[in-house]
Order: sequence, then structure tokens, then C-alpha cells
Amino acid sequence: MGALTLRGITKRYGTVVACDAVDLDVERGEIHGLLGENGAGKSTLMRILLGLETRDAGTILRDGRPVTAGSPREAVALGIGMVHQHFSLVEPLTVWENVILGDTGRIRRSRACAEIHEMSQRYGLPVDPLATVASLSAGERQRVELIKCLRRDPAVLILDEPTSVLTRAESAELFAVLRRVVRSEGRAVVLISHKLAEITAATDRVTVLRHGRVVFRSATAATDVAELARQMVGREVADAAALGLIPAAPHVPEKAQGDPALRIRGLTAPGLTGIDLEVRPGEIAGLYGAEGNGQAQIGDVLCGLVTPDAGTVEVGGVPVDLRTPGALHTAGLGIVPEDRHRAAVVPAMSVAANLTMKDLGTRVWLDRRRLRRRARELAAEFGVVATSLDAPLSSLSGGNQQRVVLARELSGDPRVLVLAQPTQGLDVGAAEDLHERLRRCAHDGMAVLLISTEIEEVLGLADRVLVIASGRVAGELHAAEATPEQLGMLVGGGAG
Amino acid sequence: MTRTAAWSALALLVSAVLIVATGGSPVEAMQALVRGSVADATAISVTLLYAAPLLLIAAGACVSASAGVFNIGQEGQVLIGALAGAAAGLRLALPGPALIAVVGLAGALAAGFWAWLSALMHRLRGVDIVVSTLLMTFVAQQVVAFAVNTPWLLQESRLGRATVLPQTNKLPPRALLGSLGSYPGLQLNAGLLIAVAAAVSVAVLLTRTRWGFRVTMLGLNPAAAAHSGVRVTVVTGSALAISGTLAGLAGAVLLTSPLSTNRLQPGGTLGLGWDGLLVALIARNRPLLAIPVALLFAVLRSGGSFLAATGVPSYLADIVKALLVLAFVAPRVPWRRLAVA
Ligand SMILES: Nc1ncnc2c1ncn2[C@@H]1O[C@H](COP(=O)(O)OP(=O)(O)OP(=O)(O)O)[C@@H](O)[C@H]1O
Ligand SMILES: [Mg+2]
Repeated sequence: MGALTLRGITKRYGTVVACDAVDLDVERGEIHGLLGENGAGKSTLMRILLGLETRDAGTILRDGRPVTAGSPREAVALGIGMVHQHFSLVEPLTVWENVILGDTGRIRRSRACAEIHEMSQRYGLPVDPLATVASLSAGERQRVELIKCLRRDPAVLILDEPTSVLTRAESAELFAVLRRVVRSEGRAVVLISHKLAEITAATDRVTVLRHGRVVFRSATAATDVAELARQMVGREVADAAALGLIPAAPHVPEKAQGDPALRIRGLTAPGLTGIDLEVRPGEIAGLYGAEGNGQAQIGDVLCGLVTPDAGTVEVGGVPVDLRTPGALHTAGLGIVPEDRHRAAVVPAMSVAANLTMKDLGTRVWLDRRRLRRRARELAAEFGVVATSLDAPLSSLSGGNQQRVVLARELSGDPRVLVLAQPTQGLDVGAAEDLHERLRRCAHDGMAVLLISTEIEEVLGLADRVLVIASGRVAGELHAAEATPEQLGMLVGGGAG
Repeated sequence: MTRTAAWSALALLVSAVLIVATGGSPVEAMQALVRGSVADATAISVTLLYAAPLLLIAAGACVSASAGVFNIGQEGQVLIGALAGAAAGLRLALPGPALIAVVGLAGALAAGFWAWLSALMHRLRGVDIVVSTLLMTFVAQQVVAFAVNTPWLLQESRLGRATVLPQTNKLPPRALLGSLGSYPGLQLNAGLLIAVAAAVSVAVLLTRTRWGFRVTMLGLNPAAAAHSGVRVTVVTGSALAISGTLAGLAGAVLLTSPLSTNRLQPGGTLGLGWDGLLVALIARNRPLLAIPVALLFAVLRSGGSFLAATGVPSYLADIVKALLVLAFVAPRVPWRRLAVA
């Protein structure tokens, strides 16, 4: 008898069928991988389970009994817990406050902290209970979400792309934790991820959705990455980095010429000490390092959200006044920040508005016809799937929201393009397309800075790899000499 | 929608219970409300007179709230608008139409500047805008009290041995807003036209202009707005100034409308500043939606004064209003989300 059985779950949004008669069986003691391209209906299916959406048809069985959760609180009572694709923490509050949020009865800080401490020991999820969530990196926030969820002791734990912001080592640790949770504590885990290598390594069985339907199920041992990719996007995916594999042949660097298009000198800000880096037109420079070593801060500075204590940023040889809003954008810098929801999108505004918000024109009146046309073109070019361009951005699937940001930033034809974790949340097909596009951009003379925690991506794309550790640039390698071992040493060396 | 209806029904039920509890009859109260507000041409005229300043204030509140700036100082801004309007109307010797325009302009500009001061305080000292706009209301009350108590400022002239009151002289008739055409009994005051035009302009401004786009973006995600080049302090300041401007215009309209004594008096706003804020709240900061809501509030205003005749305390009209506000806001509270959190 399955811990969780879904039969014929169907959900429609207007004309879009997000879930189409989905059957799913999750056994006690297994990690079940749920795959599918962007917008396939994975998150929707899980939100139905959790009582965040109502289903149009179908039954849900928990340990063989039909159940319906009307709200996440009822889902908790049914033993179903979920960590969402996008963070749902309250930023101004501390970690412990977030973890106990929703508890009833007396609040005792010391007990909450002790409990968090104990859990982080048991599951290997180090976090400071007294820290404010606003000050945490994405990886740390992810841990808080996990602790918050595990503390409610769910029998079925749903993780929606939990590792998209974790490093490989952190993910490996997480999966070790999940194994333990599954084997010795007898829970069931549903894991949604676009990282296929991770799926094949961590799961016992997999189910693939496409356009809301189950198109493939298998024991993980009986399938492989290439087949899963094919089942997901319906074509062969050749790009190793998109599949999460280390490229077989070393990357041959493009010839970078001319003066640096982006030059950062002595950049010092909270979490960063004296960062120097240059990116030339026509090259892809990788900035690789474990999460929480200053990448987010570099992103914040280049987004214009944080004014550095010292240092300069030059675009095309001209220093940029970082205190002027939008100065970097005007200077020709496009950026896809790591935490898209914070600075890159306005979720409550329409898809069209989000696609065009940096390109409103110079006149008092908006040229709505032009903006619409532009939005339609971009959505088509980048494969943004939306019920309508007037729908709020928040109604898009996670991967489609990411496509919106990419479309906007890449289409501005920037001189310098900075991308932090650009394939986060993209399905393998879209990741392959993006990698192709980045190579083409660089080939056409754009300077690309790729900030990534994914070694495969860095090795597959970058002509030159800078390693960041503890807020400093710890070393630099050329593509020809960069190997996983070498990069690993630099990452570790900088931290020590 | 159905939920809003259910909550409104509940609010009306509670109101009925309260009326019974205070010894009145809900049916009579309802009749009085209708008689005072829409039963005949005179009542309708009064209702429309109330609607004009309410709508102006609400349209302004829509602008600031869209920018994520909560201006709750409309009451004070209305007063400042009336003060500046009275000063202009009493001191300037201009021909009729020009004087009307100048009175309105003076009220609008003065209150716009007054509201902008809060943005300035926020910029310079980080003073919270909600707090400062509220406190500036009390400052405005003091300023007006001073002006109408000081003979060499605006206090009414002493005629013979009559006692002078803390109020200004009556504005000359040529400074007053007339009605547009004359229908038997029904007066359509020019103030309403101004208010509707303002609401439509605000709607156009917010949805069709670059500035409006930026305001909306700022209100929904300040970080994203800053990132895409919105100068936050400028946009915040201008949004506040516009909301103050419209409240000040409401003050001038009120001063020159047949509703008032056409003198500046400390209590002359009739508390409409607060009501206008509630109108915007119910209209979810959408200026066009504010038009019917302002009319509803005007009905409660004009009908409310008739309640007393039925033996129901007239403050019950305020309670009904408050309950209605709650009924409209309640369906938007994410009850489920609260239950989870
Ligand atoms: N609230 C909503 N309103 C309208 N459409 C929605 C809503 N939520 C989801 N959808 C649509 O349902 C479809 C499935 O979305 P879902 O979020 O489940 O995809 P997903 O498989 O999780 O994709 P991703 O990998 O990108 O996260 C999408 O086409 C999406 O646009
Ligand atoms: Mg999803």
C-alpha cells in the first residue's frame, strides 16, 4: 500500500490543462523523482496535494485512505509537508521565528533555538537560529525551509526543486539526509528537479510529466539521463552541461579581444573584499564558487541594490556611478540576478509588463502597441508559455518566469551580460537553448560573466574560470587547464 | 464577489441588530437613509455635493497607495487646501471665473506641497510616511486654528460690536462654484465634474504613462523598480505631492460648495478626509472604481443626517460605514494563508 497514491488528478486554468488525469504512486521508504519540462504541471500537482489549489477531478489516497487537504495546515495533519520552489520565508524575521511561525501555544525562544540546533545536527543542515532571514544566502534560506518542514514530521515530504540553489557538495549532503529520512525514518519523498544527474543518483523511481500527462514511469536503475531528457522535452539533448554532466572534451576558449568591457576594481562591500575582475568582449568568464561566498553580493552590487564601500565598476571603460538607479543598465549591463523574485520581476504585474519594464521608451505616454508587440516577440523567441501576456507573472511556472527574465535581459543587446545561476529552474531543453544562445552572444562580441555554483556549467561554457571563496577571488584558471579537481582545490583553499 | 456580498450582508445584519438594540427600527432607519440621500432632487443634489470632495480625495489616495506610499493625512491636506483657497478667495480682487480657478489652484498647490513635506522628511530623516502624514494633520489643524483666530490673518472682520468667531469672512459669491445648468430642483455642481475628471485623469496617468508604470512598479516591488532605473525618491515624492494636490483641491471645492458655510472653519472638513481614504481602500486603489464607492459614501453621509429624526443616533451611520468597509476588506484577507502561517 502506497504512502501516497494519486488517481486521475486533473486541473485546468481556463483553457490550459495543467494536470491531465495524473496517476502517481509513492511508496513508503522511497525517493520518487517527478520530472517534466517547464510548465508540465509538477508544481501544480503538488500544490493540489497540499491544499493550495483545488482539483477538478481525481482522488488522493494517503496510506490507502481517501483524503483531501483543504489547506496546508490540514495537509500537515495528514502528514504531507512541502518545500516550495520559491522561498516563502518572512525576511525581516529571524530563522527561529520563521521556523515556529504558525505554532500555537507559548513561544519560547530558547526551546525553539535548541530544537533548530538539534535538527540541524541530525540532518546536517547548519544554520544560525538567531540570524535574520534577510541576511541569509539562498542556500541558507533553503536549509531553513527544510528544517521548518521536517520539524512538522511529515510522512510524505515534497521538495520542489530544492537543490537549484545548492552546490554539488550541499546537494550531496541533502540527499544523504533524505536517504536517512527515507530508510530509517520510513518517510516517502517526492523530489522535483531539473538536474537529471541528481535524479538518477538520488531517486528510486521516476515519473515524467509532459503537458500535464504522465508520459513515462520507470525504476531509476532501469533508465538514464539521456532517456529521461528525451522523455521530458521530446527530443535529444546533446549539451552535457544542460544534462548536469562534466563535458568530456575540454572547452576550447573563444578568442577574446580588446579592452575589457566589464572591469571591477577593488570592489568591497559587506561580504566582499577587494574583488578585481575583468571580462573582455567575446568571452564567457565563469565565476565559480560554493554558494554564500560573495556571489550574491556581487549580484546585488551589479543590480544597483547595494552601494559598495569601495571600488569601481567600469562598463566599456567608463566608470559607472553606482548610486544612480539604473546607471548600470544605461551603461549597457544586463543582469539576471540569482534571486529573481527580489529584484528582477514584479510578480503581480503582467507578463508583458515584466518583459518590457526596462524598455519603456522615452516619451511620457507609453506606446502600448509597441510594448505589446515587443512582449509577444520576446515570449515567442524565448519560449515563454503563458495563458496570456496579460496574466500576472506569478501565474507562470517557475521555469517560465526565469525565461521572462532571460528574455528581457538578453534582448536589450547589452555590452556586458551578467548571469547568476541562469539555468536555475530551466528544464534541460531550455538550459541547452540558453547555453547555445550564450555561446552565440559571446561569439558576437558580448562580454559574459557567468556566476554559477555548478561546476558542469562553468566547465562547459566558460573560457576562463575565476574562483570565488570567502568574498575574494581565490584564483583563475583557463578553460584548457580547468578540471573539477583543480577547481575543487581552489574553492577549498580559499575558504581555509 | 460572492464572498464580498456575503460579508456585506453580514455587515448589514449587524447594523440592523445595532439599530434595534439602540431602540430604533431598521426599516425606519433605512427609509430615513433613502429619504435623505436619493428620494428627491434636493436630496440627490446634496449627495452629489458630498461625492465630489470624497472622490477627489480618493483619487489622490489611489496615486500614493499605488506607489506603495501610504498617505493617511488627507484630512490635514484638505484643511490646508481650504486655507490656501480661502486666503486667495478673500484677498485677491479677480473677476469671477479667474478667481474660482485661482482658489482651486492655490488649494491644490498648497496641499501638494504640504504632503510633499512628508516625502522630504522621509528622505532627510527617514521619518515614516504613514506617521508623518498623520501627524501633519494635527499640525494643519493648528495652523488653521491660528489663522482664523488671528485678526490680522484671516479671522472675520469685526462689524460693530458683534463677537467674532474663529472663522474667516464668507467668500465672495463670484468665488463660489456654481451649478451646471439648472434642472427643476436638481443641482449639478461643477465640483462633481472636476472630481470625475480627476479620477479619470488619475486612471489614465497610472495605466497609460511611463510615470504611472513606474509608480505601479515601485508599489509592487521597490527593489525591482530601483533595479530598473526608477528614481525612488523622486517618484515617491511626486506621488505624495499628487495625492496631496487632489486632497487640497477637495478642500477648495468643499470651501466653495453650497454644502459649506463658504468660510474657513477649523472643523470645516466634516471629516471627509478620512472618508475619502476609506473610499480608496474599498475601491482597491482603482480610481474609476472609486466613483461608485464615493457615491455610496455620499449616500451614507447625506442619509445619515436624516437618521437622527428616527430616534437612531446619527453616529450609527458611521458604524454602518465602518462595517461596510470591513465587509469589503474581509474577503481580501488571505484567511487560508493566515491559518497556515
Ligand atoms: N494560478 C495560475 N493561473 C493560471 N495558470 C497557471 C496558474 N498556475 C499554474 N498555471 C499554469 O499551469 C501550467 C503548469 O504550471 P506548473 O507551475 O505546475 O509547472 P511546473 O511543471 O512546475 O514547471 P516548472 O518546471 O517551470 O516549475 C503552466 O502552464 C502555468 O502557466
Ligand atoms: Mg514548478
